[in-house]
Amino acid sequence: MKIRRFPLILSALILATSSAILLGCSKKEGTGGSNIRLAFITNGVASFWTIAKFGAEAAGKELGVNVSVHMPAEGIVDQKRIVEDLIIRGVDGIAISLIDSHNQASFVNETAKQTALITQDADAPNTDRLAYIGMDNYLAGRMLGQLIKESLPQGGKLAIFVGRVEQDNARKRRQGTIDEVLGRSIDSSRYDPPGTEITNGTYTFVVTLTDQFDRVKAKANCEDAVLRYPDLSGIVGLFAYNAPLCLEALKQTQKVGTIKVFSFDEADETLQGIKDGSISGTIVQNPYEYGFQSIKLLKEIVAGNKQSIPPSKFIDIPARRIDRSSVDAFWADLKKKTGRP
Amino acid sequence: MKKSLGLLLVLIAACIITYLLNDRFLAPVNIENLLRRTALFSLISIGAAFVITSGGIDLSIGSMVCLVGTLLPWLTTTHNWPCVAALLLLIGVAATLGACHGLLITRLKLQPFIVTLCGLLLYRGITRGLTGDQTQGFGSEFEGIRSIALTKISFGGLLPIAIPSVAFITIAVALLAALVMNRTRYGLYLRAVGRNEVAATYSGINTNVIKALAYVTCATLAGVSGVLFVLDVNSAQPSDFGNFYELYAVAAAVLGGCSLRGGEASITGVIIGAALMQVLRNAIVLVDIPTQLEFAIIGGVILIGVGAEEIIRLTAASDKSV
Repeated sequence: MKIRRFPLILSALILATSSAILLGCSKKEGTGGSNIRLAFITNGVASFWTIAKFGAEAAGKELGVNVSVHMPAEGIVDQKRIVEDLIIRGVDGIAISLIDSHNQASFVNETAKQTALITQDADAPNTDRLAYIGMDNYLAGRMLGQLIKESLPQGGKLAIFVGRVEQDNARKRRQGTIDEVLGRSIDSSRYDPPGTEITNGTYTFVVTLTDQFDRVKAKANCEDAVLRYPDLSGIVGLFAYNAPLCLEALKQTQKVGTIKVFSFDEADETLQGIKDGSISGTIVQNPYEYGFQSIKLLKEIVAGNKQSIPPSKFIDIPARRIDRSSVDAFWADLKKKTGRP
Repeated sequence: MKKSLGLLLVLIAACIITYLLNDRFLAPVNIENLLRRTALFSLISIGAAFVITSGGIDLSIGSMVCLVGTLLPWLTTTHNWPCVAALLLLIGVAATLGACHGLLITRLKLQPFIVTLCGLLLYRGITRGLTGDQTQGFGSEFEGIRSIALTKISFGGLLPIAIPSVAFITIAVALLAALVMNRTRYGLYLRAVGRNEVAATYSGINTNVIKALAYVTCATLAGVSGVLFVLDVNSAQPSDFGNFYELYAVAAAVLGGCSLRGGEASITGVIIGAALMQVLRNAIVLVDIPTQLEFAIIGGVILIGVGAEEIIRLTAASDKSV
């Protein structure tokens, strides 16, 4: 008898423990304030989104609403699942960064029927989303192009590194950079395929290499490019992690300083690099404000104040250029906002 | 069924706990969502069950999902193929690639791990090359074919929920699979091959054909689910579509009672295994568990499921001995 009871007791114990774990992990409902529940959904897991998370949560605290932040780890199937589950959860509003805005249009419209939906960071124009909060990636790219021209006035060969080039923000940043450096007119619909060399005689973009968010590959890409193009004068990292990894690769090949590095976003290594002079500068978005303004706008919409949506349905959070002269002030402010020492 | 009792208990426990923490868990729409997701992941898991029963492994499932799922919109939108032709071609390609796995493993005697690992690299690589890494989707067209995956059948109020069409596809496939596995000579031979290939050969079974067919089944089902996945989400990025799905498939199959040593299978168990994983991921959002803990929770509960299974087995064994 004893033998028989033991396994049953053990299984009961296991079940009890697992429920305790589940209960323990679940967050308590927000205390005080309203019962408005808002969600902020990213397009992946990244330090960029961690800053946005702080912004969204700060807005939640300030405005007295419940905010949950979700980072889909497995692409578009995962993102769809999270949205479906949040709607079941009875969420009042969602701010989402779409992974593939073109093909997600019907999904956006379907979701917009069931909850207040705005897009942030990556937009889906011509859908029923109520508003878009973000920056113009093409103009941000042109801003970086300006920095490149100032740092390399004599011209030279440039290589671009990015996670994926087909993602809307990546495509526009890349195009903006290329167009500005080559002195072309402003046209965000222009597209130079990644495989081809693009030149105006003075500046040449020799290659664009992608890594599919694989950090190891991102570094290897840069190492390979430096070998392949020994006379490279500049490296452009379009996603937050690209420039820091390129810098690592350059350190190993003793090319720091001889090849200039241009970056996007505000990874710690990038900011440190700008302080040290190994990175020429970076163009930053304002993820904290994406988070904060998304929640603020959603709260207004849910409360019935539809007039808080501008007629253009676009709330611009402009890009900023951070170079050696502005890096200290920027970094200090960033640390303050994210509560880091 | 008896075999998967422990797992079923864990699934029920997970459902009850989630419901207690958020009663929206049992909302009709949520049940429909869960049915759809479980159905999609069950298809690849049933395929994996065949290969695992034969004593092999298929690591190329996720890449096969990617190949078929990405090339379907690529052929129909970029190259203007008729839907039916594209569908037939791609499912045919999947089956043929499965046959290639089978041939390489049985004739060249290559290890299944290596053959299908190369498949994993090849199919995703080829897809990325063909599409130039561009995201593929149907845009707002092809509503007709997309309805294959998006239709729900409501039974005129007889049931409180509408059953997603993919659930019917999976039920049909599962019934067929269970029939083949338990009631046909092929199923018997497959388990015999998995348990002891040498003995099976000496008893006159054509082990090569039996094993090769398991790979064909697995690859075909992966292809079919690739179609359904892309029809459901309408967008496939070659570099991440279907990533790691082979692990979910193998996990569901093993959870469901298939032994990685081969020779044992339970289609019901496989579906329960797939359902458990979908319920857990659903619970993580519904109950506000930080998403970062997602994989930790899934890993922990799978361990509990396998543990519970073993405990029940021990209990049954000690009952007999008393």
